Amino acid sequence: MADVQSQMIKFHEAIKLKRFDENETLRDKREIILKRLNSGLKKLDLDPTPKYEVIDQGSYAMDTGVKPLNGDYDIDVGISFKISKDDYPDPLEPKKWVYDSLVGHTKKVEIQRPCVTVYYQISGEPAYHVDLAVYSDKDNNSDGKIYLAKGKEHSHKENKIWEESNYPSLINLMKNHFQDSEDAKQFRRIIRYLKRWKDFKFQSKGNAAPIGIGITIAAYKWFAPNKVTNPFDNTTKYNDLEALQHFVGAVLSNFQMVYSEGVWTKRLEVLLPVAPGNDIFTKMTNSQMTVFQERLQSLFDSIQKAQKEVDPKEACTLLNQQFGCDFPIPDEKDTAQKRSPAIVSSSASA
Amino acid sequence: MSSIVFTKIDGGKIKISKKALTSMKKFIQDNDCKKEAGGVLLGRYILNSLDIIIDEITIPMWGDRRKWFGFFRSRRPHQKVIDRLWKESEGTINYLGEWHTHPENTPIPSDIDIRSWKHKLNHDVFDGDSLWFVIIGIKSLRIWELSRNNLSYQLIGESYYSEVENV
Repeated sequence: MADVQSQMIKFHEAIKLKRFDENETLRDKREIILKRLNSGLKKLDLDPTPKYEVIDQGSYAMDTGVKPLNGDYDIDVGISFKISKDDYPDPLEPKKWVYDSLVGHTKKVEIQRPCVTVYYQISGEPAYHVDLAVYSDKDNNSDGKIYLAKGKEHSHKENKIWEESNYPSLINLMKNHFQDSEDAKQFRRIIRYLKRWKDFKFQSKGNAAPIGIGITIAAYKWFAPNKVTNPFDNTTKYNDLEALQHFVGAVLSNFQMVYSEGVWTKRLEVLLPVAPGNDIFTKMTNSQMTVFQERLQSLFDSIQKAQKEVDPKEACTLLNQQFGCDFPIPDEKDTAQKRSPAIVSSSASA
Repeated sequence: MSSIVFTKIDGGKIKISKKALTSMKKFIQDNDCKKEAGGVLLGRYILNSLDIIIDEITIPMWGDRRKWFGFFRSRRPHQKVIDRLWKESEGTINYLGEWHTHPENTPIPSDIDIRSWKHKLNHDVFDGDSLWFVIIGIKSLRIWELSRNNLSYQLIGESYYSEVENV
């Protein structure tokens, strides 16, 4: 009923994080870090200085990024060293190269379990952080596989591992998922809508919020383009709200009863389609999972109400409550046709 | 009290907003002291659709003559409201038809009503193909559509107040 496609597109424009080549500030931050890494590695006096390749990864590379609500932009970079994992039994060693090259660059540089993180602040507030994932390159491993260096400095030995990770190939999988470029655009819009919903509806700390890559992979599995082609003039009209309704419905129907933490409970499992192939939502507790499901159901109900609503203004108000302030609510006069004035006669009734 | 939605002859929807519905319901003739009331329906033709929303109504005004069984709506005060809303909304709030009350549970249009509706369809100046007419009964309201393309009047919906309350 209410056609809110133009508001959906406006919302998308408001939340879309431009890619590196379109975003000068973030591109500059990334370049500065990479230069610093390059000079830092040389200063470490390793013999020979390790060679590496820089891989773009994360939502920038997949073109699925949304502007953060808390202002803390995150930049993902992969540093793929031309080393064999077998020569470095301790995966912390190459991670420390990266850490040592960058430490002191900003107030805070930290080794995290999956990456090394450089934090930037602007007047005391977090402004950016750059996550550098450290890999052992496939050409240097006898099995031809890529490995991610995992673990922190004081982790138990069994948590310091080289984990097979074909994360870099995920970018290609996502890029080539749809042949039709307009379908691919709708695919990325749907991912961004749900990621912003997630940022708006969940606390960003801890594991309460479903992680963005999980939403992206869920869309890779369950999203289908939604459009109508007019056979007379061959124009195609995309319906993002309907596409989103079908997608959210599909996610909800994939919550399954499983035995977890000693009880039977409904959980959503989304497996990474590349190595290591793990369940992306595994860190969420059962109760966090339940909240996730309830909020998704509430989103689904609001979308259905908005679809049935005749008045575009009211439909957008319902969506604004789910997606936050960036979802535009049109003025009444912008929802209606302009018509010429009426002149009425008197009338009698009985 | 929520809004209600009916389907028009052309398949589009017509929604009566909560605001318009609440104002009309104040005039339900559910006791002997309340006289017949009425006014005009005003609202939007929604972009890229066949849908219509009745956003506003006018209520009895100076010059109208109200009786227990009969209502005469004078032209000028209601026309003034039509003109003002049309102007303020940049031409998007338009005249859509009329409403009035009946002191009966399920309203049925009288011969006078039907003659008046047909007269309005033929003599009022308005930018559209149809006009809509609401009668507020005691237990339900009903809505009829009169189209320039189709000379007969057609009942397009009925809504019981008790059902709407629960929405």
